[in-house]
Amino acid sequence: MGLLSAVYLAGLAAVSLPLLFHLIRRTPRGKQTFSSLMFLTPSPPRVTRRSRLDHLLLLLLRAAALCLLALAFARPFLRESALLPLADLPRRRVAILLDTSASMQRGDLWKRAVAQAGDVLDDLGPTDDVALFAFNDRLQTVVDFAASSNAPAAKMDLVRRELAQLKPSWRSTDLGAALAAVANELDAPSNDEAAIAEPHLVLISDLQQGSRTDALQAFSWPQRVPVVVHALAIEQPTNASVHLLADETESESAEPRVRVANASDSVGEEFYVHWTTSDKSATDDTMVPIYVPPGQSRVVRLPRPKSAPMADRIVLRGDAAEFDNVHYVVAPRQQEVAIAYLGAEQADDPQGPRYYFERAISGMPLRKVDLRASRVGEPLSLPGEKPPKLTVLAEAVPEPTREALESYVSSGGMLLVVLKDRPMAESLAFLFEGLVVGDETESGEYQLFGEIDFTHPLFAPFASPRYSDFTKIHFWKRRSLTIPPGAGTRVIAWFDNHEPAIIERTIGAGRALLFASGWQPSDSQLALSTKFVPLMQEILDLACGRQDSLASATVGQTISLPQQASLQPIVVINPQDERIEFAATTENFDQTDQPGIYRVRSGDAGLPFAVNLDAAESNTAPLEVAQLEQLGVRLAKSVSRSERRLEQRQQRDRELENRQKIWRWLIVAAVAVLIFETWLAGWTARRIRQTTEALA
Amino acid sequence: MRTSGSQLRRLSETRPARNAESQSASFIDPAALMRIENLELRAKSVVEGFLSGLHRSPYHGFSVEFSEYRQYSDGDDLRYLDWRLFARSDRYYIKRFEEETNLRCYLLVDLSRSMGFGSLGYSKAEYAKTAAATFAYFLSLQRDAVGLVTFDEGIQEFLPARFRPGHLHRVMLGLERSLAGTATDLGPPLEQIAKTAAKRGLIVLISDLLAPIESLETQLGYLRSRGHEAAVMRVLDPAEINFSFEEAVLFEDLESGRELYVDPQAARRRYLERFAEHSSAISRACSRLGIDEYLLPTDRPLELALFDFLNARMRRGRQTARRQRQARRGGKQGGG
Repeated sequence: MGLLSAVYLAGLAAVSLPLLFHLIRRTPRGKQTFSSLMFLTPSPPRVTRRSRLDHLLLLLLRAAALCLLALAFARPFLRESALLPLADLPRRRVAILLDTSASMQRGDLWKRAVAQAGDVLDDLGPTDDVALFAFNDRLQTVVDFAASSNAPAAKMDLVRRELAQLKPSWRSTDLGAALAAVANELDAPSNDEAAIAEPHLVLISDLQQGSRTDALQAFSWPQRVPVVVHALAIEQPTNASVHLLADETESESAEPRVRVANASDSVGEEFYVHWTTSDKSATDDTMVPIYVPPGQSRVVRLPRPKSAPMADRIVLRGDAAEFDNVHYVVAPRQQEVAIAYLGAEQADDPQGPRYYFERAISGMPLRKVDLRASRVGEPLSLPGEKPPKLTVLAEAVPEPTREALESYVSSGGMLLVVLKDRPMAESLAFLFEGLVVGDETESGEYQLFGEIDFTHPLFAPFASPRYSDFTKIHFWKRRSLTIPPGAGTRVIAWFDNHEPAIIERTIGAGRALLFASGWQPSDSQLALSTKFVPLMQEILDLACGRQDSLASATVGQTISLPQQASLQPIVVINPQDERIEFAATTENFDQTDQPGIYRVRSGDAGLPFAVNLDAAESNTAPLEVAQLEQLGVRLAKSVSRSERRLEQRQQRDRELENRQKIWRWLIVAAVAVLIFETWLAGWTARRIRQTTEALA
Repeated sequence: MRTSGSQLRRLSETRPARNAESQSASFIDPAALMRIENLELRAKSVVEGFLSGLHRSPYHGFSVEFSEYRQYSDGDDLRYLDWRLFARSDRYYIKRFEEETNLRCYLLVDLSRSMGFGSLGYSKAEYAKTAAATFAYFLSLQRDAVGLVTFDEGIQEFLPARFRPGHLHRVMLGLERSLAGTATDLGPPLEQIAKTAAKRGLIVLISDLLAPIESLETQLGYLRSRGHEAAVMRVLDPAEINFSFEEAVLFEDLESGRELYVDPQAARRRYLERFAEHSSAISRACSRLGIDEYLLPTDRPLELALFDFLNARMRRGRQTARRQRQARRGGKQGGG
């Protein structure tokens, strides 16, 4: 015998109340005002004859009716009549989503996160399926649902092993994308068996405010997937971060400025920043104190120490969480580029190509260009100096100097040829094999760029439709060229009459570029167009390697490797001094797994670049769980196995009671008792009246 | 102190109060009287009914006091010839009257909250006000000066004794005010009268006198302190006199708000004992002080109250006259 709502049994207490009221002493019913109490003495309360019970049977009947009603409301049922097996709980598919972002390195967060995951695993039933996901700025499937799903014990061991090997990374947190992806995985079961199982997502994270949740905004959360959030909090929540403010216009002499941001739940407010080097040689002589209230940020000037001008990192002191206290900086260094110009033009002659070329390549903050003008046949560089990165050829090459020029290109130099006239074009056949030069056309009809190969590094920055319009550049004077197929020459751009405009040929480790028309105003409008300067910059990048793109990056960001003329393999040396080699054609480097100074080496050039933590990762104040709910995530409470068992049992009890419906019979009995009671009361009253009349 | 003795004597000779209780049907029932809103009208009803019951005109010779007889000589007004004395002694005597003086009467009405009790549908205060209005009306009819003091724990209304047009109306208005005070204190009103009433007069205190007897006696002593003549009218509800409650209930003191659980059946005997003790203590104090004391149960017709009062005044007047005559006679003998 069980009761569904035992609370109603409290109604039984009501039965005793009339009895109680009847038996306790009578309190005075009213009040009598009187002029003066000076002659009155208080009387002790009297017990009257009403304390006696006259009609015991009637009282019992009424009490019985009340009892039956209370019992009916309590909804009893007979448990013995249908013993349902209670052993097996419904099968669940549990996805454990573990935060491995950089902020999890704080204090003992990671240890506790692993322990929490262990607790979740302990609470799983023998039929439950489990998968382990780790997330930072990307989601990593550690153990899939599909992995050995028919051997639960083995799978549990596998999950535990993988869990033990996981470590927090240096990456930022994209909570929204991870939740959405795992919810989709849970909502789309692979087979029928999985479809019956209850999906269940367990999120173990420090839920920092710096987590990105924007992916959830456009995501329709599957309602059958509940999320149990285990939010981990740290005892010492003070966390500040340091960042160097980038300033394009700042010169080397200016004092760099540093921003220190303090998390909103921080306790500490006083911090110190100073420069240091990798070998910690820089002393604390430039330590700058800074006061930052919680939730705010301050900017302070931090001059580089004179004793260590090569300091490449800023260190923050006074903060409990160490993971984001170092900011790596690579000072942008001006690249010195030597360029040789082979031509007869004067530097101040606006009719010649040199005048425009010089102006296009000067004034760049990151490059210091040294242009040396000479004639063909003179040596390209002084003895003991490196050969120039780029050589511009603007006159015909006589026979004896051809070999020297070819060896310059094949050893890694870059040659830019601007065709001036037919004799010059013909003298270049040694560089561009099979080049057939037609007549110089100077008809009244101008040409435009027809087709451009935007996949070539030279035009790649113009690939976007916003910049790809070259149709306003008119070419009046051009050399008609014909390239035989299979000659190792690549056409980068064509005129609209399908004659090549720009061609490229790779020779050895270097390359040669040829413009079929000059850019000076007598030949074309190219020098006066907005495309000229970026185009020349790209040529310089091709010749000397890309400089500015290597300034700084955040962990996990992809870095574009410098495009280089030479074809030597690229080596990236990470902060742990590990060498990672890539082919020369590799364009991107994505193994920026930890903060620090990386160095790219290709050929003899070595380019350092700094990788720092994402600034959002430093915002470690806890995120309200309710915010997830606002984004549509269905939150659930953590329910242990025994609690689930109890809930299941109650549900079965409800079903049993619903089937038996004993309460109806109890109501019928109560009504019957009340009818009998009414009859008895009437009969008693009649008898008393008759007796009284007889007596009268 | 001289009062309008001749009229009082005449009233006493009709003796309507001897069998007043049996004839009470001819008087106005107090419950019916209290239904009249206007206090002045109530007083008028009582007084005029009372006077018409005497079958005498009330408008002759009320304010002169009989002094002595003298022998009739020719030319004397025959109206003042005492025919009865002539019948007894066969000699003509003329009644001599004393110089006309106005009576100064102060009505002290207790309007404390204990007077708010009433078991008959109206309170003791209503009854007391009506009694005071009746006296005031009656006295003003015979051109006497009437003053009014209403009080609870302090003086609420004070009107000096005057006889002038409109004064009676002001007295009536002064009586209209409702009950407010929480306690009864006779001290301040009596002090006030002692200060203002230089000439001697009659002071009528209308109260339930439900206060500890010790303080009452001192305060009643003030009444006589300046040689004023004093009368105390105790207005009591029948329920206070008989304690006719049945149900055991919480009794609440109207003045202090104190509550007491009392079973009347058990407490009645003790109450009546203590009440009688208190009443006799008051009576003793009054007789010691020479104060007339009247009991005014609120179910008693007011005419009877008025009659009792006048009757007692009459008797006192007669005693005074006798004492004066004896004194004069003694003086003559001593002189002769």
